[in-house]
Amino acid sequence: MRMSLSGFLSDLRIVDLSMGWAGPLATRHLADLGAEVIKIESCTRFDWFRGWEASQSWIDEDQAEKHPPFLAMNRNKKDVTLDLSTERGRDLLLRLVAVSDAVVENFPSTVLPKLNLGYEAFREVKPEIVMLSMPGFGSTGPWKDYRAYGSTTEQAAGLPHLSGRPEWPPAMVHIALGDAVAGLNGAAALLAALRHLKRTGEGQFVDLSHAECLFPLGAHGIVEQALTGSPPPRLGNKSRYCAPHGVYPCRDGWIVIQAESEEHWKGVKGAVGWHKLEPFDDLQDRLARSDELDAVLIAWTSTRLADDAMLDLQTNGAPAAIVRQSKHLLRDRHFQARGTWEIRDRKFIGGIPHAMSPYRINGEALALGWPAPTLGKDNKKVLGGLLGIGKRALQALERDGIIGRRPRLRKASGE
Amino acid sequence: MTYGKALEGLRVLDVAGTIAAGYCGKLFADQGAEVVLAEPPEGFPTRHLPPFAPGVAAPEASGMHLYLSTNKRSAVCRRPSELLALAREASIVIDAAVGEERPLSATQLAAVSPNALLVSITWFGQDGPYAKFLGTDAVCQALTSQIDWLGEPDEEPMIPGGYQAQFVAGVTAFVGAMGQVLAREIGSVSGTGHLDVSILESNLCFTEIEAMRGYKGMPTRTRIGVNRFRATYPLGIYPCSDGWLGVTVLTPSQWDGLCRLLGLQNLAAARKYREGAVRQRDADEIDRQIAESVRGKSAKELAARGQALGVPLAIVPTMEQLVDVDQYVERGAFGEVRHPDIGSVQLPVTPFRLFGCPAVAGGSVARLGADTQALLARAGGAP
Repeated sequence: MRMSLSGFLSDLRIVDLSMGWAGPLATRHLADLGAEVIKIESCTRFDWFRGWEASQSWIDEDQAEKHPPFLAMNRNKKDVTLDLSTERGRDLLLRLVAVSDAVVENFPSTVLPKLNLGYEAFREVKPEIVMLSMPGFGSTGPWKDYRAYGSTTEQAAGLPHLSGRPEWPPAMVHIALGDAVAGLNGAAALLAALRHLKRTGEGQFVDLSHAECLFPLGAHGIVEQALTGSPPPRLGNKSRYCAPHGVYPCRDGWIVIQAESEEHWKGVKGAVGWHKLEPFDDLQDRLARSDELDAVLIAWTSTRLADDAMLDLQTNGAPAAIVRQSKHLLRDRHFQARGTWEIRDRKFIGGIPHAMSPYRINGEALALGWPAPTLGKDNKKVLGGLLGIGKRALQALERDGIIGRRPRLRKASGE
Repeated sequence: MTYGKALEGLRVLDVAGTIAAGYCGKLFADQGAEVVLAEPPEGFPTRHLPPFAPGVAAPEASGMHLYLSTNKRSAVCRRPSELLALAREASIVIDAAVGEERPLSATQLAAVSPNALLVSITWFGQDGPYAKFLGTDAVCQALTSQIDWLGEPDEEPMIPGGYQAQFVAGVTAFVGAMGQVLAREIGSVSGTGHLDVSILESNLCFTEIEAMRGYKGMPTRTRIGVNRFRATYPLGIYPCSDGWLGVTVLTPSQWDGLCRLLGLQNLAAARKYREGAVRQRDADEIDRQIAESVRGKSAKELAARGQALGVPLAIVPTMEQLVDVDQYVERGAFGEVRHPDIGSVQLPVTPFRLFGCPAVAGGSVARLGADTQALLARAGGAP
């Protein structure tokens, strides 16, 4: 078992103020590549992906260390607590920024100004800093202060008009579609800006709008509107271009069949039976009589196990797949063979599966160095080691509540 | 002050012709890299994908190809030697091949361009039991559990439209490739490399948290109805006079704000409704009241007033409305894309913004083979 990070970007240091899903996913990609990502939380304002509501009993049960969303997004990072509302906490943050290449944040637009922090303050201590800011709609424009979740940005990108049955209201496909996509784009943005920094010595301010990051996912609709003046129709699971195209019942679940070419159609016939499907050999017939075609397919799929139907269709040359339920994601034999999930023990919760990097380099996934850090786990290593804060000073910081390793309830007056 | 383009000096050769590769390449091209499409005589598969521009002949009519191909050059390669000549200049080659048979093998590439990175974006990756299976966007969405989440619980689940799985993989491949570019430029690694990007695994980003929950025996997500989600309620979309209003309510203060905005004092007064799970239980009745209270009102106004109260509301623009949304106009989220046959249309620009080195907004798209002569001559392999 490797306990160290991949070394690709080990020269880079990133101060990560982001919380929740999108920002931490962006920095996770950099951490997987070996960059030193220092996650900043505080004992009273910890990452809300550790849990939405804190109570004393929640704290006593160490629930802040057990929430899967946090554990999924923060592997391979260091964790430092700093109370940024105090002068000493703010000063320590700026000292960290001064020795880093980039800062990432995804707060609502009011938070950093209230702390007297932001791009200008960071640039004062590190003129060539790269700062990535990730508010829902970007840091400019009339909506720059709008509150947004991953659902809000899916709505505002117009995507719900492109899925579902015609009689449904516009339909959302995910509870937080915008977060994962913005996180991925955040990593892309950081890498582009860091490449420019390393080549030229020039830092800069970078932002992204989660909503705009979702536009490509609706490109087929945006493009059709632009070219023809009309949006694509909502057709449920049917397609204007190919058939069969849909989700079909099996004995133990559902499978998708999406035959996009004549080759694929031959594959469907090979699996289901040439004689039964010959009447649909012409694509125009298949499209016009897709309900009849589906009835023939359902008669075939509904007597089979989904796994068998998928295998039969695939080996005959037709794209098909089980509609996997989330609770069975780890069972997939392809994932098992590729080592897509790596299970690693984590304090307070035991073994947890991590989705490895979605790409391999020369056959290897990026190393899982360590699971998500506990709150303040690296206070000593980072503040002592990197900034050279002495033991006594660290004790004083802890005594005064500026750093710490356990969550605390906020005073009622705070918020 | 601007600094030029962030990805200047990089040369990308696309021999794949897929949507995933095309979007990965677009992110390079719009930020200043030279991206060359090495196309077969009939053009890339993306040139034959709908929707098509009315009145424009194949292979120039595809709208998807138009969107993906801004600021790229096109060369038709008729012989393997021409492809090799183009590869000599490439720092990155993108293909969509599995196994030994590929347009340019890793060995061939290493021989002509010793530091080049080969990026393979395939449905299932280079190995594993599905490696030779046939993939589509829906296949990958099915296997990553995204399809299971959409639809009515007692009906078949729904395939989200479009090419979403491939676009997600395109950005993933860009991240993977840029990691290697940067690592080579700062000197932490050298020589050739092969990046194996799986479209399937790229799409686990949407559902990995649920897999973790499932492993720990916690309840996991499945479809419970259109615009219904287990975590909270309301989270939905309602018809108004000028379009649709998107609502998300997570916290008690957001719930209070929504009730105040919509004049639903009866609901605000019920203490039990401060909890999302309880609202979820009575969702049908609350839904009726919300729908009734917004009917005939302006979604745009409600969203603005709701946001002022701290409630995350948004309009849900139609495809027609999208390009005219104030926020997107103000930020220049759409740019002019020009093609000699199709003309000029407004399409989305790179969604992240380096204020020092902004990406090209829009740009021009090359006809099939427009740059064949020039590129092959430069590469020393003129036909």
